[in-house]
Amino acid sequence: MARAAHPQAMQPKKPGTTRTAPPKMPDGFPGKGRYRTYVAFETTGLIYLLMGFIILRAIWQLGAGEAGWNGVMDAYRNPIMIGFHVLALVGVIFVGVRFFWLFPKAQPPRIGPVRPPPAAILKGMLYSVWIGTTLVMTWVLAGGAF
Amino acid sequence: MSDVQIKKFVVTRFDPDKDEVPRTDTFEVPCQSDWMVLDALNFIKDQLDGSLSYRWSCRMAVCGSCGMNVDGAPTLTCKSPLSSYGDTVEVTPLSNFPVIRDLVVELDGFMEKLKAVKPWIIRAKEKAVEEGPYRQSPEELEDFKQFSLCINCMLCYAACPVVGNEPDFIGPAAIALGYRYNLDSRDEGASERNAIFRGEGSVYSCSFANECSEVCPENVDPAAAINQAKLSGLVDWAASLVLPRGGKD
Repeated sequence: MARAAHPQAMQPKKPGTTRTAPPKMPDGFPGKGRYRTYVAFETTGLIYLLMGFIILRAIWQLGAGEAGWNGVMDAYRNPIMIGFHVLALVGVIFVGVRFFWLFPKAQPPRIGPVRPPPAAILKGMLYSVWIGTTLVMTWVLAGGAF
Repeated sequence: MSDVQIKKFVVTRFDPDKDEVPRTDTFEVPCQSDWMVLDALNFIKDQLDGSLSYRWSCRMAVCGSCGMNVDGAPTLTCKSPLSSYGDTVEVTPLSNFPVIRDLVVELDGFMEKLKAVKPWIIRAKEKAVEEGPYRQSPEELEDFKQFSLCINCMLCYAACPVVGNEPDFIGPAAIALGYRYNLDSRDEGASERNAIFRGEGSVYSCSFANECSEVCPENVDPAAAINQAKLSGLVDWAASLVLPRGGKD
């Protein structure tokens, strides 16, 4: 049974004289089929919100000097924190893959005289930048730059 | 003579004069193997219950009248073979629309949105007839041809979760048609339409569920049009900050 949609959905500004049955949301929304993937994509926003809070808290704690830094490191070793970061990693990969899948079709046929490259090349470029950035960041964090 | 199979049709009924809420009726239909869903509805109407109301016209996926939900999915019933469904087929009116009667939905809201995006060629100054026709190269035609194939069947509206939640959202087909004119080399109204795309019910309400493109029977890809309109609207807005007459025109 489909959920009720907003009562004004697709209503004309001046309603007709015939009584109408209220609109319903699409069948399967939000938990079935392709809608589930879309809702999962949207829900990852919560992960980023929580991640933002964690980072802000860590930055705040650094104000306490070395003890603060050690406190942050201890907190990051907590199994719940590790689990959350694994979840965040899965979320980022999921969002990246979906975004890269949809990105080529969001390109106008031309911007001024310039046409965007074909979808396959565009996707290849995006994945290359993603993988390259990940490798560079890994190298920097592993101490390779220092 | 093709094979006949009895299928059960569970069809939404709603009489605004009698019914408080929509209900369902079940019909057993002897379906031929080459029938479309619309053929079965026509059989019900002709042989079983003449009071069943639904829209249809061309029977060749051109007019866009016969859009309904079949087994929950927005479907052009004249284009959907019954052989791809099971023994029981559920037919309901398009989602996200108020229902006038049985399978007939209220279209005026859509017509208002369509008109709002000015889906026609806008010229700053019309050419005189003696100046000849507006010329367009095949490449320029290719830029927008895909978006001009829309038949206004409204399946995209029925599939979109944003349409159901945000009544002001202009919606997929209307944006695709408006954007089609923005891409037309003969048109000079892109800034005018982009202002509409950025206004009430803006293109930025779209969260790219992509369902509109999944259900489109003509492969118009309205999600592409909406998200391209977001980018070009942004470019146009930025240009309007630095150029006295804005972007394209």
